[in-house]
Amino acid sequence: MSDASPPPPPAEASPPPPPSTSGSPTDFLKGVVGKRVVVRLTSGVDYRGVLSCLDGYMNIALEQTEEHVNGTVTNRYGDAFIRGNNVLYISAAEAL
Amino acid sequence: MLIFSVFKTLTDQTVTVELKNDLSITGVLKSVDQFLNIRLDSIKILDEARHPHMMAVKNCFIRGSVVRYVQLPADHVDTQLLEDATRREAANGKR
Amino acid sequence: MDTSSGIQEPFDLIRLSLSEKVFVKLRGDRELTGVLHAYDGHMNLILSDVEETIMLVEQVEGGPEGQTTVNVAKRKMNMLFVRGDGVILVSPPSRT
Repeated sequence: MSDASPPPPPAEASPPPPPSTSGSPTDFLKGVVGKRVVVRLTSGVDYRGVLSCLDGYMNIALEQTEEHVNGTVTNRYGDAFIRGNNVLYISAAEAL
Repeated sequence: MLIFSVFKTLTDQTVTVELKNDLSITGVLKSVDQFLNIRLDSIKILDEARHPHMMAVKNCFIRGSVVRYVQLPADHVDTQLLEDATRREAANGKR
Repeated sequence: MDTSSGIQEPFDLIRLSLSEKVFVKLRGDRELTGVLHAYDGHMNLILSDVEETIMLVEQVEGGPEGQTTVNVAKRKMNMLFVRGDGVILVSPPSRT
């Protein structure tokens, strides 16, 4: 991180990423597919993993999932299907 | 619809229905509907001492929504047929 | 719209688990493992060779506030229908 080399010029053909502060809930959900997310259930249990996909009922398929119960990892799943009625929220765990 | 069909094939077989209030009822499956409501005949309560009020009951109607499990007679379930039918229903995209 | 595992909707995860041993997490601190033979859109399931684990969390008598013991009860069932409304999570347990 020295000042030896000047910063590269900005690439000409890179449109700015869509701001994550606007857009509909659907836009958000489309944006987080393939990203790391936290899924919180109404029971308070969190699932952290990569969001494979979801449907209109908020049924969710996660990969590399960790189950967190009040801060500690209680289980790991390669793949996990979560029934949508249990979902309280889906939160992005990395930049969109 | 698929599961409804499965239960229809099991009429006149003995099943054990476990309810969400932990009551377990064994009986002969007389009928089932699309909501998976269940009618049982010749019923027997698993833990009669805990549910003495059920002793005189000979048959019953169980609302589908209060069911947790139904234990099925394995020898009357064709698992290969079930899997094929499940894949077919999934492919039809009606869920 | 394809993720690494080729799953387009959450139910694909379940369909690919047919005739496989799956792990099911249910409401009421119950867990099942068994071979999946059928499911529908409600997540009603039919499983064989089922082992059920029931976690009974109890407050320790005379112990400090919040200290609990977990009693685990297990039982086996040959062929089982599981009503979908109790399902929280389904996972193929082999690749954890």
